[in-house]
Amino acid sequence: MRVISFPGGDSADPQSTWVLELEAALNGESEGPAAESWRELREDVRALAPPMTPAFEQRLAERLAERDARPSRHRRLDRARALVRPRALAAMASVVVAGALVALVVGLGEQRPQHPVPQLASQAPSGAERVNAAPQAHASAGAAGQTSSAATPTEVKANAQGLAPAVSAPAGATGRVQQLAASVGLSASPGNVQNVSDGVARVAAGDEGYVQQSHVQVQQHGPSEANLTLKVPSARLAAVLAAIARLAPVSSESQSLQDITNAYEAAHQRLADARAERRALLRALAAATTEGQIDSLRERLTQARNAITQDQAAVQSVSQRASTAEIEVTVLGNAAGKAAASEGLTLHRGLHDALRVLTVALIAILIAAAALVPVALVIAALAIARRTWRRYQRERALDPA
Amino acid sequence: MHRFVPASDELPQPPDSPRLRGPLDARSCEVLFRECAADVHAYAISLLGERSAAEDVTALAFERLYRSRARLDLSRGTPRAWLFSIARNAALDELRSRRRRPLLELDEGLAGESSAGEELERLARLATVRDALAALPIRERELVLLKFHGQLTNGELARALGISESNAGTRLHRALTRLRERCADLDRQEVA
Repeated sequence: MRVISFPGGDSADPQSTWVLELEAALNGESEGPAAESWRELREDVRALAPPMTPAFEQRLAERLAERDARPSRHRRLDRARALVRPRALAAMASVVVAGALVALVVGLGEQRPQHPVPQLASQAPSGAERVNAAPQAHASAGAAGQTSSAATPTEVKANAQGLAPAVSAPAGATGRVQQLAASVGLSASPGNVQNVSDGVARVAAGDEGYVQQSHVQVQQHGPSEANLTLKVPSARLAAVLAAIARLAPVSSESQSLQDITNAYEAAHQRLADARAERRALLRALAAATTEGQIDSLRERLTQARNAITQDQAAVQSVSQRASTAEIEVTVLGNAAGKAAASEGLTLHRGLHDALRVLTVALIAILIAAAALVPVALVIAALAIARRTWRRYQRERALDPA
Repeated sequence: MHRFVPASDELPQPPDSPRLRGPLDARSCEVLFRECAADVHAYAISLLGERSAAEDVTALAFERLYRSRARLDLSRGTPRAWLFSIARNAALDELRSRRRRPLLELDEGLAGESSAGEELERLARLATVRDALAALPIRERELVLLKFHGQLTNGELARALGISESNAGTRLHRALTRLRERCADLDRQEVA
């Protein structure tokens, strides 16, 4: 916006004008009686002061020269003193930031799930009594599981994006029998689907498991795919998933848990009932006196034996479900998998790691700043207050007594 | 009598000058001493009114300057302004510690000289200025001394006083106006 002054109103601040005129006069930039009088006043004021005595001037010059002629070690010390404060502060800040960074990295490393072993799977016994004994007892969850007739599947899905699957099984409850299952999707180049599938089978065999079912379809031109169903010991589920993740980039991963305590207990109860009935029949047979009674009891004993056999099979089946985890592995051969399997994988992982490092560094800096900024503010406030106080004290020397 | 010494080309210039931006070296300190020692001493003795105290302040100012020359920030003024800020602080510390009312000494050579009429007229004028200066409040007197002995710009003056530049201009205007009025009053009294 342009400001147009009123005619005759072009008057600068008289004091500013005066100051400018004084400066010009003292600097010899203006002439005239007024300027001359200012210069004369300055010379008069300066002339009033008695000059330095030559002796003092000589003494002071020698003192300062001596100071300059001090050994270089002292000069370096002076220079170091001048620099030590900012450097010390910078070093201290660096140490704090580095410490926070290390602490965070270590902390995150400890928190990162490195193919965590599902508690239930890892502690599932292999015998008939496959009752989970995980220490994390959730009484309410257990009670709910016991009263509910239907199993409660719990599924955790994670898009691993090329990383090892982040398996995180839900905490189990004491005394529960649970069945674990997982599914993993792998990306591979079309020509590598067979190799990856073979690798998956080898992993299963190496971990006391087996391939229950497999289907591999490899095409010269077009997508290739392999589907495998693995059975592995529940205790080895996490290890197997980690090994599979090392074969190819993981595109998807999910894990499920099903509580089969009710089925397990029901099978056991039926077996116990059948055995009790058999024992009762045997006692009745011993006490039977007539042929009719004996024949009837023998027939019922046969039925009881069959029932026991069936119940034992049922118990074994439930136990097998608890001790064995099923893994569905899907290997997809496509261009993305090819890229990921080759250099793209390295680049992607590198970028991901770099981003993670940057994030951690940023967090560390924030934490360090949160700790240091208040301290710095307090120190700065104290320094300002001290300086202000000293200035105030000095100015008081000019106040009339 | 002191000679007006313009700012030397040998001294480090403010940051506007591309020549020097770093701390003072030994040669610059030496030049600064040669050109400013007399003015610092004159300022100190005019303010403190005692030669020994003025010498202490002058020595202390240069000691502190040498000690802190590595931290000299040329963006905040010339080395001369820096030196006079230090000298002012030292002088005020001296005043405060001794609680001495400053006295204005007359140049020892002033009273003894007698010669031609022009010189007598100058001596009379100096006596008038001396009396007028002595009659000023100490704060205004200190400002005049700092301005004339230190030859500081108003910006440097403001920085040394810890006030704004406009405030420094106002105070200077008031002090110099009062000084001239006192001089005029004294002249009138003498004529009367």
